[in-house]
Amino acid sequence: MTLALTHFDWVRELVHRESAIVLAPGKEYLVEARLLPLARQLGLGGVGELVDAVRSRPNPDSTRRIVEALTTNETSWFRDGDPFTALTSTVLPALLAARGPNERLQIWSAACSSGQEPYTIAMLLDDALPAAASRVAITATDLSRQMVERTKAGRFSQLEVNRGLPAPMLVRHFTRAGAEWEVAASLRRMVTARECNLAAPLPRMGPFDVVYLRNVLIYFDLATKKAILRRVRELMRPDGWLFLGAAETTLGVDDTWERVVIGRSSAYRPLKGA
Amino acid sequence: MRALVIDDSRTMRRIVSGILGGLGFEVRDAGHGREGLDVLDEGWLPDLVCVDWNMPVMDGLQFVSAVRSNPAWRQVTIMMVTSESEHTQIVKALAAGAHEYVIKPFTADAIRDKLALLGLLPQEALL
Amino acid sequence: MSMTFDTGERRRSTDVRPVISELIDEATVFSIAEEAWSALDEVLVPQRAELSGDLISSWVEIVGPWTGSVVVSTARDTAAELARGFMGPFAPDELGDSDVADAFGEIANVVAGSVKAALPGPSAISLPEVGEGPAVRNPADQLRIDVLWRGRPLSISVQGALPALSAQ
Repeated sequence: MTLALTHFDWVRELVHRESAIVLAPGKEYLVEARLLPLARQLGLGGVGELVDAVRSRPNPDSTRRIVEALTTNETSWFRDGDPFTALTSTVLPALLAARGPNERLQIWSAACSSGQEPYTIAMLLDDALPAAASRVAITATDLSRQMVERTKAGRFSQLEVNRGLPAPMLVRHFTRAGAEWEVAASLRRMVTARECNLAAPLPRMGPFDVVYLRNVLIYFDLATKKAILRRVRELMRPDGWLFLGAAETTLGVDDTWERVVIGRSSAYRPLKGA
Repeated sequence: MRALVIDDSRTMRRIVSGILGGLGFEVRDAGHGREGLDVLDEGWLPDLVCVDWNMPVMDGLQFVSAVRSNPAWRQVTIMMVTSESEHTQIVKALAAGAHEYVIKPFTADAIRDKLALLGLLPQEALL
Repeated sequence: MSMTFDTGERRRSTDVRPVISELIDEATVFSIAEEAWSALDEVLVPQRAELSGDLISSWVEIVGPWTGSVVVSTARDTAAELARGFMGPFAPDELGDSDVADAFGEIANVVAGSVKAALPGPSAISLPEVGEGPAVRNPADQLRIDVLWRGRPLSISVQGALPALSAQ
């Protein structure tokens, strides 16, 4: 059963709005195939029902999962580049200088999705620091249990490892597992993945030196954005660093952060006394 | 910017040339490694070469080694685009001097991403 | 590093030769095919349907610890549509037989590359061929998936090159 045109158009518009990705007409098969598992997971009979449900009761979680299901091959390693190179160029040296030699640095990937972000961070740190696993701990969280399981497994398809992952890093940090690629065990040990709903009171975690909160605030209204930023800040060290998505900013949302330019990206740091 | 696409499959040459052309490259193509070297020997030096592995006459690995052993062609960036995806194969390709490696099946965005990593996206494509 | 290719010829009767189902499973072959089609934003549905009529196959040989072929088969008109779909926005207005054969062969190349990487290696693959396809030499050394693409049947067979060892 193919997707009704009105449903398809709604999905196209949503995906374009949230991810700039264009779904060409004629891709109803694709939308149907990618969203059916999600619809079933949510206990719905089909994709039409899923669309109707989300249209009638907008829900940031479902919206995000719809966009992710349709852009799974689009999730990239080192997304936007600079927020990750900034880690090794600027943030890490500053933190190593500020912390004691036995203090483990805590990093949080707060919308980890299938795991590209936390493992991008793990690879960078493994290449930059001797015995990285003993110096750094990475917490990866996502609202979706399925995504948390994917992150724990650290397995990726050919299409996924083709996206923005430098080939030398692929061969250094991955091994083949059947038709997939698996992150090295030493890197998987650096990452602890768990479920977490950003829009609700957060579990006890951290305190974090660095937080990556990228491309997830966009799904929430202003009041929730403010609440999330406040909760995130409470789990951060006072001299910590926050990275948002390339088109995101705290400006106009929360004035208790100081923006620091690093290369072509920005980091946000808790304002002292705020 | 110039790109040379080397693949024994006409279909692949069409696809990769199309993607690179769309990104702003001036593109030429060749059907195997020796034909690719002939283009370079003419003096037409590409900024980027996308080269397949398995081809008749001269395969991609031999092409990579030949290019990397010629100091006059030092500025040529080489990206292998191939269905060869064993770990040892990729290591071999990088050891022979390939700068990047795209596994087939790939999407246009995958190529774009790799070019961004290499700093080879023509300015128009960045918009 | 030197690579030894196992052509299976100088075999002792006590040698154990793996059959394909011991090395890879159907689910893996399906996900390899699914990925290849997914790169084109296309969908494959696992479903056995009658593959009959005027068929065309493209195949690639794998030589290594396991030796055999990866054979993609479908109806001629499906192959033509597939060729067009594969080229996407870069397809010429008219697709001749050689264009279709070239594209269909490349599809076998893409699928075979991933299949070979999932096998214990190292292995080498041949250039693709298009035509009638190799016969199944040993039914016990074959793994076949049947799928529908845009409602049309297509099969992918991973089949060993060698006949069954006779019972001792």
